[in-house]
Amino acid sequence: MGKTVLVVDDDPDVRLFSVTVLEEHGYTPLEAANGEEGLKMIKENKPDLIILDVLMPRQSGIRLYRELKTDKSLKNIQVIILSGIARKTFLRSQKALTEFGGKEVPEPQIYLEKPVEPEVLAAAIEKALS
Amino acid sequence: MKIEKLLFVTKFEELGFDAVRSLLSLTKADLNHIIFINVIERDRFAMSRVGYRKDEEIRLREEANIRFIDWSENLFEQGLEVGVYIVVGALVSEVIKAAQKEEADLIVIGRSHKGVLEHLYSGSDVTELLRRAATPVLLYKHLSETTISVENPFDRPLLAIDWSPASLRAVEYLKELGDVVSEISLVHVAGEKDLKGTSAMEIQKTRKETRQKLEAICTLFEAQGIDARAHVYIGDPDDEIEKAARDCQATMIVLGSSAKSAWVEKWLGSTPRKYAEESIYPTLLIPPLKM
Repeated sequence: MGKTVLVVDDDPDVRLFSVTVLEEHGYTPLEAANGEEGLKMIKENKPDLIILDVLMPRQSGIRLYRELKTDKSLKNIQVIILSGIARKTFLRSQKALTEFGGKEVPEPQIYLEKPVEPEVLAAAIEKALS
Repeated sequence: MKIEKLLFVTKFEELGFDAVRSLLSLTKADLNHIIFINVIERDRFAMSRVGYRKDEEIRLREEANIRFIDWSENLFEQGLEVGVYIVVGALVSEVIKAAQKEEADLIVIGRSHKGVLEHLYSGSDVTELLRRAATPVLLYKHLSETTISVENPFDRPLLAIDWSPASLRAVEYLKELGDVVSEISLVHVAGEKDLKGTSAMEIQKTRKETRQKLEAICTLFEAQGIDARAHVYIGDPDDEIEKAARDCQATMIVLGSSAKSAWVEKWLGSTPRKYAEESIYPTLLIPPLKM
């Protein structure tokens, strides 16, 4: 069985796209429709990689990423951000939250802006898991 | 009753990012999460003579998405949490569903620009929302309709009190906004029939008693560091509340309502509805606690 990858995105079309790419490359995909559901699945399944959207209902990818990277048992899980929100905004937001008294979190290793070609996503997944 | 999470309803034509900005003063209190919702009404937008048009739905969704990404980037960079719903369905049902799912503390909605005929046939979404929502609703007014400043609607609210549980709930709601509100005007509009007696002394006594009750509420606000002033007006609430708002240079009108059964009845053509739909002031409506 391939490595487990959790796709957290509120857009069902994007989830379908990512899941298709994952299956084609022999990974085991899991799906969550928002940050809150995503965190629950991460704790239950401890995936090898998370493909994370930013702008979602219930909890954004910005807060979920922060929770992951400040949790000792989860911080080593690899994360690819896949979002329409610019990388610059993601970083500025994390900086603002740190300034409000939060912990400093590392930058995401891979940040892809939507839309993305299947081969670009596949290469990013391979790089993140290598 | 803190305002931590706000649900902002927009069709883009009536409420834009300037309205969002004007509400950011609430971050000085407890606001930390803004959720945007755009409801694509299937029957109004996506139907044509040839039937349901999926391509039209996709276009409308993506238009909304592009706008929300831009708005969200601005808010994320200020450290706020942001969420988005773009859904196809009936406006009121979808807004209530999202408010419940997100446990929103305040719904902000603009008044739609309908003509008289359209109103007659479709009724008012806003009135329907006010009737069904358990969450306070801020009815924002379009910039072109009002000459008052909308830089911060919560700066100088005017709270119309009728001593109902909902209007007292409104007191609790506003008490939490000490860092946002600079002054509250408390107004009770006494009807002419409330002025018991025929002598000047008796009429003045009624005024004095009402004023004392309002002063007691002013004391509650002042304990929270909010300046508050009591005002008694005489006449028809439908007219007097707006006059009081003008006299006090208010930036918003806040109304509670009567008990639940009366609340439902009142919406069918009464003061809160009139202010929601006709006043030039942003109007915050606090429903009674629903059982």
